[in-house]
Amino acid sequence: MRLPRHWQLWAMLAPAIAFVGVFAYIPMYGIQLAFRKFTFQNGLTGGEWVGLKYFEQFFESPLFWTLMRNTVTISLATLVVGFVAPILLALIVNQVVHAGRKRFMQTATYLPHFISTVVIVGMLQVFLSPSSGLLTRLAGLAGVTDVNFLGDTSTFVPVYVISDIWQHCGWNSIIYLAALSRVDTQLYEAAKIDGASRLKLVRHVDVPALVPTMVVLLILSMGGVLSTGFEKVLLMQNTLNLPVSEVISTYVYKIGILSSQFSYSTAIGLFNTLINFVFLVVTNQIAKRVSGTSLW
Amino acid sequence: MVATYFRNRTPGDLAFSAVLAALCVLILAAVIYPVYFVVIASISDSTLVATGQVWLWPRGVNLFGYEQILKDERIWNGYLNTLLYSGVGTALNLCVTLPAAFALSRREFRPRKAIMVFFAVTMFFQGGLIPTYMLYRDIGLLDNWLVFVLPVAVNVYNLIIARAFFESSVPEELYEAAAIDGISYFGYFLKIAVPLSKAIISVIGLYYLVQHWNDFFTGLVFIRDYDKQPLQVVLRDILLSNQAFAGGAGGAGGAGTSYAQQYADQIKYGVIIVSTLPVIVLYPFLQRYFEKGVMIGAVKG
Amino acid sequence: MASRTRLWCAVTLASVLALSACSGADESEGGGGNTLRILVSKHPLTGPMKDMGWVAELEKKANVKITWEEVSADWDQKKAAMLAAGDVPDLIVGTNAINSTDLATFGTLFEDLKDDLDKLPNVKALFQAKPQLQAMATQPGGEIYTVPGYKRFWPETVTHQYINKDWLKNLGLKTPTTWDELYDVLVAFKEKDANGNGDANDEIPMDWSPVGTTGFGYFQPSVLLGSLGLPIAAGGGQGYFVEDGKVGNFLVDERYRQVLEFLHKCYAAGLVSKDVMTQDYSAYQSVARGKGDVAKVGFSWGWTASDRFGAQLAGQYEATAPLLAEAGQSTPVTWTYDSYAENFPANQIAMSAATENKEAALRVIDAFYDQDLSIQVLFGEFGQNITKVSDKEYKVLPPADGKSDPSTWKWTTTIADNGPTWIRDDIEVDLPTDLQEAVVQAEPLMPALKNMDLKQDVYPGQFIQMTAEDLNTLALSNQTILNITQPKFAQWITKGGIAEQWDAYVKQVNDSGLPANVSIFQRYYDKYAAQHS
Repeated sequence: MRLPRHWQLWAMLAPAIAFVGVFAYIPMYGIQLAFRKFTFQNGLTGGEWVGLKYFEQFFESPLFWTLMRNTVTISLATLVVGFVAPILLALIVNQVVHAGRKRFMQTATYLPHFISTVVIVGMLQVFLSPSSGLLTRLAGLAGVTDVNFLGDTSTFVPVYVISDIWQHCGWNSIIYLAALSRVDTQLYEAAKIDGASRLKLVRHVDVPALVPTMVVLLILSMGGVLSTGFEKVLLMQNTLNLPVSEVISTYVYKIGILSSQFSYSTAIGLFNTLINFVFLVVTNQIAKRVSGTSLW
Repeated sequence: MVATYFRNRTPGDLAFSAVLAALCVLILAAVIYPVYFVVIASISDSTLVATGQVWLWPRGVNLFGYEQILKDERIWNGYLNTLLYSGVGTALNLCVTLPAAFALSRREFRPRKAIMVFFAVTMFFQGGLIPTYMLYRDIGLLDNWLVFVLPVAVNVYNLIIARAFFESSVPEELYEAAAIDGISYFGYFLKIAVPLSKAIISVIGLYYLVQHWNDFFTGLVFIRDYDKQPLQVVLRDILLSNQAFAGGAGGAGGAGTSYAQQYADQIKYGVIIVSTLPVIVLYPFLQRYFEKGVMIGAVKG
Repeated sequence: MASRTRLWCAVTLASVLALSACSGADESEGGGGNTLRILVSKHPLTGPMKDMGWVAELEKKANVKITWEEVSADWDQKKAAMLAAGDVPDLIVGTNAINSTDLATFGTLFEDLKDDLDKLPNVKALFQAKPQLQAMATQPGGEIYTVPGYKRFWPETVTHQYINKDWLKNLGLKTPTTWDELYDVLVAFKEKDANGNGDANDEIPMDWSPVGTTGFGYFQPSVLLGSLGLPIAAGGGQGYFVEDGKVGNFLVDERYRQVLEFLHKCYAAGLVSKDVMTQDYSAYQSVARGKGDVAKVGFSWGWTASDRFGAQLAGQYEATAPLLAEAGQSTPVTWTYDSYAENFPANQIAMSAATENKEAALRVIDAFYDQDLSIQVLFGEFGQNITKVSDKEYKVLPPADGKSDPSTWKWTTTIADNGPTWIRDDIEVDLPTDLQEAVVQAEPLMPALKNMDLKQDVYPGQFIQMTAEDLNTLALSNQTILNITQPKFAQWITKGGIAEQWDAYVKQVNDSGLPANVSIFQRYYDKYAAQHS
C-alpha cells in the first residue's frame, strides 16, 4: 500500500495548516458578536440575537458616508501611490552600477521604515508648522503662502500619503530588488549586443521580471482598500482636519475601545472585512484573466 | 574598442545616466535629511526642537535623553527578550512558511486552490481580541513568552509572496529533470528550491524578523510579568512618558511636569535610535543575497 | 548543508513545543496564600513600585506580599481584553483605571464592597466624613464596586489666566479687564516690540492649549464663556453644563457663538498663534518658554506661571481675573470649576469578585486610606519626599534631585494622584511649591468662582453613576455631535463664517441627538439635587 502521491507536500503544509487552524480559525466564533447584544454576564456567544441591528445602526449613522468617503480616499491614494513608488525605486536602485553606492542607496532608503509612527507625526508637526516649519517656509519661497499643511482639509491626504511613501517606499522595494536579482544576466548581454539602450533594457528585461510580484502585491493591497493606518491617522487628527480625517478605524476606536461598544465595533469591523474581501476576490479574478497570475 | 565604447554609450544612455544620478541624489536627500534630523533632535534641547529652531546642527547639545533611556535597567532585559523572541520566532516562521509555500507552488498539487483560500480567509476574518485572549488563556499562552512565537508562526501575506517566488523563480525544467532522477519532494525542496531562493528567503526572513522586532501589542496585552516584556514595550513606556503631557494636565491633575517635559522629545527621538540600530546593522549582511547572479551561479554550479 | 538545515528546523520545532507544554503546566492562578496580585495603572513617568518606600509599609499594615503588575501605556486596550475575558487580578489600583463605563458593563466582575464596609474602617470613616463620596461610589443598583478618594488641596480651578506684565509696562498699557481692552492690548503686543528684543514680529499675543477632537479641557478659551456668565466645569468637556438647575450644552448656546466671534476677530487680526489649531501640547508649552529671558507669548492660560512659562520667565507674568465681555455688564462673570474632578478622584481601587484572599485584599484597600499612607501615596514616602512633623503636621520636601520640579519629582517617585488617597481635613500640610503657586494664582479668579452656586451651576457629574444604557446613548450621540462641533470651532475661529452657518449648525447638532442627551443629564441631575437638597 503506497501513501498518496502528494503525501510529502501534505506533510510540508501540515504545520502551517495547524498553526492557522488553531490561532486564526478557533477565535473566529467571536464574529457572531456582531449579531448579538454583548452583555458580560452572557459572554461572547450567549447575548441576545439582534440580527443586523448593529449594521443598520452604522449605516444609519450620520457619520456613515463621511467615514466611508474619508477611508476610501486615504486608502486608495496610499494604495495607488504606494504601489507604484517602490517599483520605481527598485528599478532606479537596480540601475546603480557601483556596488557600494547601490548598497548605500538601499540601506538609506530603508531606514525610515523603522521610525515609529509617534515620531513620524511629531516630525510632521515640526516640519509643517505654519509658523516655523521648514517645509512651510520652503513652500513659501515657492510662492505657496498661508497654507497650514497640518490643518487644511485639502492637504491632509497628500501629507498623509507622501509621508507614508517616504517612510515605507524603501522597505517595500526590497521585495522587488530580490525579484530583480534573479534576472538572468545573459538577457542583458544579449540585449546589449543587439544595441538596446539602457532605458530599453529596463523596459524589456527588468519590468517583465517584476510583473508576477507586482500582480500578487497588487491583489493583496486591494484587499486593504478599507484599511488605513489607524495610529497615524489618529495622531494626525486635529479639529481643523477632522472632517477629512475621521476614518472607520478611528471611529471604531473612539466608540468601541473607549466606550465599550463591543458589538457595535465588531459589526463595523466585519463590514470592513467584507468589503475588503470582495475587493480582493474581484481583483484576483481580474488578475487571473489578464495576467494568468492569481492567489488561487 | 573605442567604437564599442561609443556604441554602448549612446547619447540616450548618457542622458539616462545623468537623470539616474540626479534622481538618486534627490531621493537620498529626501530620505537622509529627516533621518539626520532624528539624530540631531535626539541630542538637542527639546524646546528648541519643538519650536522649529533646530535644522542643520544640534543646539543645546546634551545627552540627557540617552542617559534616561540607558539608565533604565528594563531596557537591557527587554533587549535580551526581543533577541530571543525574534530569533526563535523567525526560525520557526521560516521552517513553517517555506515548506508550505513550496507545497502550494506545485501546480500538480490539486488541493492547493482550496488550501490557499483556507489561508487567505484568515487575512480578513479574525475573531477579534477577546476570543483570542480567551484562547491564549485556555492553552496557557498568557504571560508565556511563546505567545510571541506560536500564534504568528505563519503570516499569510509572506506565505503568498514566498509561494509566488517559488512558482516563478525556480525553473520548472529543473523539477522535471530531478523527477526523472527519482528525487522526492523533500529532497527537491531542500537541495534545489531552497538554495535557488536565497533572495526571497532573506526577504521573508527580514519581514518576519522586523515583525517580531517591532511587535509591542502582544507584550502589552498578553504579558503580565514585566521581566518578559520585549524591548518595544519598554521603549513605548519610556516614549509615552512624553505623550502623557498631551492629556497631561487633565490626566495628571494639573501636573506641571515642566522638567520632565523639557527632555521628553529627546527621549522620543533617542528611543528610535536605540531600538533600530541592531536591525540596521543586520541589513547589509542580507543585501549580498540580492546581488545579481547569485542564483544563476548556484544553478550552474 | 541541506540536511543540517532540516535537522535544525526539527530541533527548533520540537524544543519550542516542549517548552510550550512545560510552561503551560506550571501556570497557576495568582491569589492563594498570603500573596496578592495587584494591577496598578501608573503615569508613564512613575518609577517601579519596588522603589517606593511606602509599599513596604502597605504590605506590613495589611500583612500581605504583593506582586505588582504595572501598566503605564495603552491600558485601554489591555483592559478591554482582560475585562471581557473575565480575567481580573485581586485588586486594580489607579484613578479611573476601571471607569464608570467599565463598571456599567463589567460590574459583576468586581466585589460589591457595600457589605464589607465594617471591615474597611478607614473607608467607612471616609464615607461618613464625605457623604458625597459614598454617593459617587454607589452604582444605580446600589452596589459599591470601587472606592474613590479625597485630595483636598487642589484649587477650585486648574486653569489660570496670565498676561505678561513686563510687556504691559514696556508699552505703557494697563491690565485688560474686558474683551475690548484685551483686544487692544493684543494688537499692541503684535504691532510693537513688546519684548524689547528689537524684533517687532516675534511676539505671539495669545495662545491656548490644543483643543481636542473629543472635547474641551484645561487651558482653553472655553473659559471665556465665563465672561458671559456661562458656568462650566473641568474646562468644558463635551459642552454639557448646568445653570440655575437647568442642564444645557454650550455648543449650541448663543454665548458660545459670541465667544467664537470674539476669537475669530482676534485670529483674523493675527493676534492668535498661527499654530493654535494644529500644534501638540509639547509645542504649545515649548513656545511659551521663549528664548533665554525673552518672552514670546503675551496672554495665555496654564497651571502655574512656572510650569507654563518656565522658571526663568515666570516672574514676567501675572495671574489675572476673568474678563468682562463688556464694560459695566450686569451679568456676573464665572469661570471653570474643576474642584470636583481634582479633589474627588473617582474609582481609585477595585477588588476582584473572584479573589481567593478576600480578607487580605480588604486589608490592602483599607490600608491605602490610612492617614499616613494616603499622604505618602500622594506626595511620596516619608524621609525622601515628606517630613512628618507631628501626628497632624506634615511637610512636603522640595525635590531631592535639584534639577527636577516638584511635580515631576512627585510623579517619578510615587503613583501620586493615581493612588487611593484620603487626605484628612484636620491635618496640616506644607504643600509643594507648585500647589502653593497654583493656589495663589487662583486668587484673582475667586470672585468669579464664588458667583457659581455649587448646587445650581456646577454639574455634579463626578458624583453620579449612570446605567449602561444611558452611557451608550450618550457616547454614540456625543461622537456624532463632536464630529460636527469641533471642526466648526476651528473653522469659525480661523476662517469665520459663523454668522451664516450658525442656525444650520444648531439644527444639525440638535438632529444628532443632543436634546435626548441633555434630558438624560437633566434626569440624573434632578435626582441628585432632590437627594442632596
